[in-house]
Amino acid sequence: MSEEKQQVSRRQFLNYTLTGVGGFMAAGLLISPIRMAIDPVLKPSSAGEYANVGLAVEDITTEPQRVDWKIDQVDGWYESKVNRSAWVFKNENDEIMALSPTCTHLGCVVSWEGSEDHPNEFFCPCHDGRYYKDGTNIAGTPPTRPLDLYDHKVENGMLYLGKAQVRGEA
Amino acid sequence: MKWNEQDIENYVGAKEYIDTIILPLLPFQLSQDANTKKDAFASEVLTIFSNEIEKELTGRILLTPSYYYLKSADKEQEVKRLNAWVEDMKKQPFKHIFYVSFDSSWKKNEKDLNGNLLWLPGIQSGDVHSEEMQKLIRQQVQQIVELIRSYW
Repeated sequence: MSEEKQQVSRRQFLNYTLTGVGGFMAAGLLISPIRMAIDPVLKPSSAGEYANVGLAVEDITTEPQRVDWKIDQVDGWYESKVNRSAWVFKNENDEIMALSPTCTHLGCVVSWEGSEDHPNEFFCPCHDGRYYKDGTNIAGTPPTRPLDLYDHKVENGMLYLGKAQVRGEA
Repeated sequence: MKWNEQDIENYVGAKEYIDTIILPLLPFQLSQDANTKKDAFASEVLTIFSNEIEKELTGRILLTPSYYYLKSADKEQEVKRLNAWVEDMKKQPFKHIFYVSFDSSWKKNEKDLNGNLLWLPGIQSGDVHSEEMQKLIRQQVQQIVELIRSYW
């Protein structure tokens, strides 16, 4: 019986402890470079990120309403808060639409029923560009393509908006 | 459009659509301790203002670099220099020139200025990044935008 009892010699004991401690030290030293090396993978891409725009889904009506929110944007030299806006409404199929307010002509800010002469349309104050409610540009006005459409998702009853997608020519 | 490479490239490609200049007038001085902080603040706010106006109407206006002048300087001289700027701008098809300023002393020389002076009652102090200030600025910008549109 006593022969089968595992005997740890002084040499083995020291070997085990030193390898153990050494291993920990090596791991400690390696962890920062490894973290640095794979860091870009761990960072979420800010481009496709969704932001809570502070609007509950139940408050979205068929009448477009403007929402404003802020996102962090790294811009080469500095990181800044950038304001984003969208016109949000439900279309006839009860789908949520979030249109970018940036005119596709030269980038002015369009507004819903911005002109009394053109009800039920988006209107650009700069050069009288007009869009139908679904964002399609009206032929004969300066814009050449529809308003960009934001990606959206709903979480816990709140609206999240992501990237604005360019839509093809009408 | 702003005075940077990207925007000016767009401007050159769409000149016929951009017929309005926004030119901020910013006073500067370091000699009177009592007012420096106030003046620096005013300049900060006016810069935000001009940028916001530009953002709303970017497709039709060009925001030029700000015109800095010494607060104590003779306004007649400054008007002359400003008119020289405007003369240069008018080499391009600009129809409307708007100066924006918090400095009421321009009012007296308005008639000699080539263009329209938009004098705004200044905001004296506060935190430009606070919610209330942003709301205030946004509302005022909306009104200025309406005013500019009435000239088009």
